[in-house]
Amino acid sequence: MTAVIDKRVSKPGRWQAPPRPAWEEEPSRAGLAGKGLALSLACLAILFPLWIVVVTSLSSRKTIDEAGGLVMVPKGITFVAYRELLSGGQVTRATVISLLVTLFGTLFSMTVSVLCAYGLSRTGSLGHRWILMTLLATMFFSAGLIPTYLLVQTLGLTDTYLALILPSAVSVFNILVLRGFFMGISQELVDSARIDGAGDFRILWQIVVPLSRAVIAVITLFYAVGYWSAWFNASLYLNDQDMMPLQNVMIQLVQKQEAPVGLGQAIKTGQLSGLAVQMAVMVMALLPVAVLSPFVQKHFKKGMLTGAVKG
Amino acid sequence: MTPNAASSGPSRRSFLASTAVATAAVAGGMPLLTACGGSEGGSRDGTTSGKDAQKILPAYVASNVVKPDIPSKNGSALGFTRKLDLAGLKTSVSKKLGKGGKVTVMSPFWGSPPKQNNAYYRAMNDLIGVDVFWQNQDGNTYDQKLGAVLASSDVPDVVVVPGWNMGGKIPSAIISKFADLGPYLSGDKVKEYPNLAAIPTDAWRRSIFGGKLRGLPMPAPSAPSMVPLYRQDIFEKEGYQVPKSCDEFMTLAKEITNARAKRWACLDMKWTAFQAFGVLSGSEKPLGWNLVDGKLVNRIETEEYLEALEWSRKLFAAGVVHPDSMMGKNAPDPGPKFAAGEFLIYPNNISQWWGRTAEQATQNPDFKIWGMDIWGHDGGDPTLWADQPAGIFAFVNKKASESVIRDVLAVANVTAAPYGTKEYMMTNYGVEGTHYTVKDGVPVKTDKGNIEVMNAYVMVASPAATLAHPDFPEVAKGQVEWEQRMGAFAKKSSFWGMQITEPARYTNLSNDAEQLEDDIVRGRKKISDMQQFVSDWKSKGGDKLRDWYQKILDENGSAAN
Amino acid sequence: MSHSTVPRSSAEATTKIPRPGHPVVSDGATGSAGKRPTGKLSLRVRFRRDRLLLLMTLPALGLILLFNYIPILGNVIAFQEYDPYISDNGAISMLNSPFVGLENFQRIFEDSAFWNAVENTLVLFILQIVLFFPIPILLALLINSVIRPRVRAVAQAVLYLPHFFSWVLVIAVFQQLFGGAGILSQLLRQNGYDGLDIMTNPGTFPLLITAESIWKDVGWGIIVFLAALASVSPDLYEAAAMDGASRWRRMWHVTLPALRPVIALLLVLRVGDALTVGFEQILLQRDAVGPGAGEVLDTFVWWNGVRNQDFSYAAAAGLIKGVVSLGLVLVANKVAHLMGEQGVYKK
Repeated sequence: MTAVIDKRVSKPGRWQAPPRPAWEEEPSRAGLAGKGLALSLACLAILFPLWIVVVTSLSSRKTIDEAGGLVMVPKGITFVAYRELLSGGQVTRATVISLLVTLFGTLFSMTVSVLCAYGLSRTGSLGHRWILMTLLATMFFSAGLIPTYLLVQTLGLTDTYLALILPSAVSVFNILVLRGFFMGISQELVDSARIDGAGDFRILWQIVVPLSRAVIAVITLFYAVGYWSAWFNASLYLNDQDMMPLQNVMIQLVQKQEAPVGLGQAIKTGQLSGLAVQMAVMVMALLPVAVLSPFVQKHFKKGMLTGAVKG
Repeated sequence: MTPNAASSGPSRRSFLASTAVATAAVAGGMPLLTACGGSEGGSRDGTTSGKDAQKILPAYVASNVVKPDIPSKNGSALGFTRKLDLAGLKTSVSKKLGKGGKVTVMSPFWGSPPKQNNAYYRAMNDLIGVDVFWQNQDGNTYDQKLGAVLASSDVPDVVVVPGWNMGGKIPSAIISKFADLGPYLSGDKVKEYPNLAAIPTDAWRRSIFGGKLRGLPMPAPSAPSMVPLYRQDIFEKEGYQVPKSCDEFMTLAKEITNARAKRWACLDMKWTAFQAFGVLSGSEKPLGWNLVDGKLVNRIETEEYLEALEWSRKLFAAGVVHPDSMMGKNAPDPGPKFAAGEFLIYPNNISQWWGRTAEQATQNPDFKIWGMDIWGHDGGDPTLWADQPAGIFAFVNKKASESVIRDVLAVANVTAAPYGTKEYMMTNYGVEGTHYTVKDGVPVKTDKGNIEVMNAYVMVASPAATLAHPDFPEVAKGQVEWEQRMGAFAKKSSFWGMQITEPARYTNLSNDAEQLEDDIVRGRKKISDMQQFVSDWKSKGGDKLRDWYQKILDENGSAAN
Repeated sequence: MSHSTVPRSSAEATTKIPRPGHPVVSDGATGSAGKRPTGKLSLRVRFRRDRLLLLMTLPALGLILLFNYIPILGNVIAFQEYDPYISDNGAISMLNSPFVGLENFQRIFEDSAFWNAVENTLVLFILQIVLFFPIPILLALLINSVIRPRVRAVAQAVLYLPHFFSWVLVIAVFQQLFGGAGILSQLLRQNGYDGLDIMTNPGTFPLLITAESIWKDVGWGIIVFLAALASVSPDLYEAAAMDGASRWRRMWHVTLPALRPVIALLLVLRVGDALTVGFEQILLQRDAVGPGAGEVLDTFVWWNGVRNQDFSYAAAAGLIKGVVSLGLVLVANKVAHLMGEQGVYKK
């Protein structure tokens, strides 16, 4: 079914609309215009500030100082802020660290979460309400900084990458979302598989997971973005600066411009403005999104999971 | 009118006369310190000074290795304005004191820390004879990391604690977790470490926590450090005169401001107003108290305080303050706007005088920033209050063995080397040729230097406050001379120079005052709200706190003149 | 930047971000089909039947018990005057710190600033539910109705982006456009009007905060709804069309029912989170309008507890918030049941 749709999509060229199904009426011109206008306005409201960010990141100190801050009209382009970020070899090393933490962390979190969500998806199963309440309560009650730190330290996790993964591996919110979608899967499919003798693991792997590709893509994205952009745990649990992930290095590079006074801090002279560095960090933070976006989006195609859910 | 307003002449205070309930309050810190909070507290409160302190303090042996071009006067820093002469660098550490041990130092760091075992760290460790292993922590979240690490049983050998991170229960932790350095430094014992012996006694007195000498200080000038900085180049071009009174400032500010052309006179001038009106310092809670006619008065109980707020409010109301100032602490970086001439005057720490100069030098040759002399509000001499003579401290773990403590002191003895020595250059600039090069007597950091030589070793201990900018000697001269001129007007309040820990139950008492100040200045609240706040403050514990401070004064005497 | 009491954990930090746009599903309609009879079976039989399901929940449950529940026990300090440094270790200090009963709670409840913060929090919450919450749903429907693949892809990619901006940046950009010296103000001044400072007006502060959240997180909020829409079978639309249902009726009768469980779950969880409204965003702008308008519950705790390292105070505030939140989510869940939705869990 999905394959058929995919073929239909790719034929007429990506900017054109695929042929309309026979039962669908012609869209009204006003409707199309309204839709276009709404989307364009929304995108413009985002792209204009983005333009400011990108232009500022590419501006010299002189341009930024003449503009009194953020720059809207570029006057010459310089990559000095990006060069500053990438010099010193810290960013390269930290990028590798962040990629690995994100990869393994996301795999681990997804495994644990999908299992748990499925384990809780059958209403009436033993203890599922208690487990649910146990999980739910942690969304509202939080632990203090010191007890958490002492625990992680007692477990011997400080200065290990496990400290960046284990304490934050489970997001109850994500489990609840997964569970919600799992429960929406047509029960007849599951029941017939069971009659054929499939166990829970097989049902999960062969029926539930394939039918939940869209939500699994979403939750994977949530976890991955979470690991990628986390920094506080690293600053708390890691002492060795050589182990720091990318976000921490980036934050500290920005702070280099704002150190407290009187510490013999090297003030950058010349072309580089702290603001440009800050904006360059922001632009680089958007890169992974640009890379990931298509992978996630292909799971959102209309009608892709046909038959998965009863309407 | 309450009696403690007695210090003031009535004539110029008419606007308060009807309502004054006497104020009290407290306060946050100077702009740069506020972000991290600054209340004191702890289970072991109080202070040690007077005779007890004399027994603990290290002897002072002035260093005469290098003579400053401008000696310290009126609490100013030492000034160095000559070119750097590489060949003429002196040696202040004659023999390696380190015994080759390993020392772990946790310290706040602003910037991206360099790799462990880099060329700079290796050179420093070679020079000292100690293997220092750095745990450079993100400076902006340091308070939280510090709170957690000190609560664990696993504290690094050395922990650096800036004054602005000494909030809450941290003073209690300092007393229970860190070693007494007295057995190694008190009296003549310090002479084994000549550069530590040359650290001024005032800075050492501030390093006494819980009755013991626990800290290695980073000395600071006690002369005022909050300077009204202005764009001298634009002043000259437009023919503006530096104001000499609050009225003159207002007139000038209105002349400068032209919102349509995107120009305003200044940022929030609250800190300058406090100085012009002679308000007691708000940079640290104990400094806000002073003995007036036999009674302790808090800065917010004074009418000067209310007047300063009122005048700052008028500036906002007159529309001469740049609108970004309405954003408060989290306003966008004023640097580019100052460079763009969107405003011409702002108060900030004296170090920005050089910082902004250096930033702009290559791109904007016309740009000239200079410091205004602080004026008395009525055009007379100002009354200023001295700053604390040290603000950042390094501590040694109580569990450290004697050999570790000796190694730490060996580190400190090198990092506290005075300007003009080989050790100072190594600590602040790194290895010549690798981390910096010298052109025409001006050291310039290389790319490697900019990455590796950052604020690590300087945090362990520093020499007497020093201003030396070989790249802009005229700025160093301007700064030191400003400090000396203003230092001449500076008085020491009753608790100046003491390390005082307020009892925990009073720590939150006055935290809202600073917020209220800003609300008033920006026109969201009224002066009478502050008067109300002060009377609440008194009844909720302010008066008890006064008694508590009075007791300290009775027991220890005052450091003030 | 750290949160009031919790260290911000990585996964939590982002999964919580698009708060009001959160997705989650549960399908009340199908629940019954999968429901297992509970009444008649003995515990042992049920255990044997469900042991695999229980086993599957174990890893997550174990992690939650270890990393959440054990440190949550530390909240006992809410009833103490806790000084973590009186003993060698902060945990031992917990045993040695004096108990003060409900004093910390009393301090909070007697503080008029606390109630002011609660009021501001609730105003913001209501604004966000009314103005923010529906937008991702509408946007998801809009995008779903676009059939040109490239247009869809580009629109989605662009809409996600602001979520990855930091709050510092978002506020700086807003200040540049709408601040007292911003583009809008200068434009007004050059045309002879007074400048307009939208960023520091206490009266409109809640609207400003909501507008900023909408700009930043609405696009991110659509993705779960898109995932739900991807699961709707085209056959259903076709069948509806054959029955003569118009475009709008199909949206009403086919699309919306598919989204309802997700919307319900998200709404329930958002209500449970009513006391959390953009900590970092508001902390950064609190000064701009003063605490009278700009203090919310989390920033109140930050200023009075965390920043001063008054651990007991912060823990007490955390407990109050937890109890209220849990209560709210249970009530909201109940309401969802009454409206025929499953919500977070079902009896």
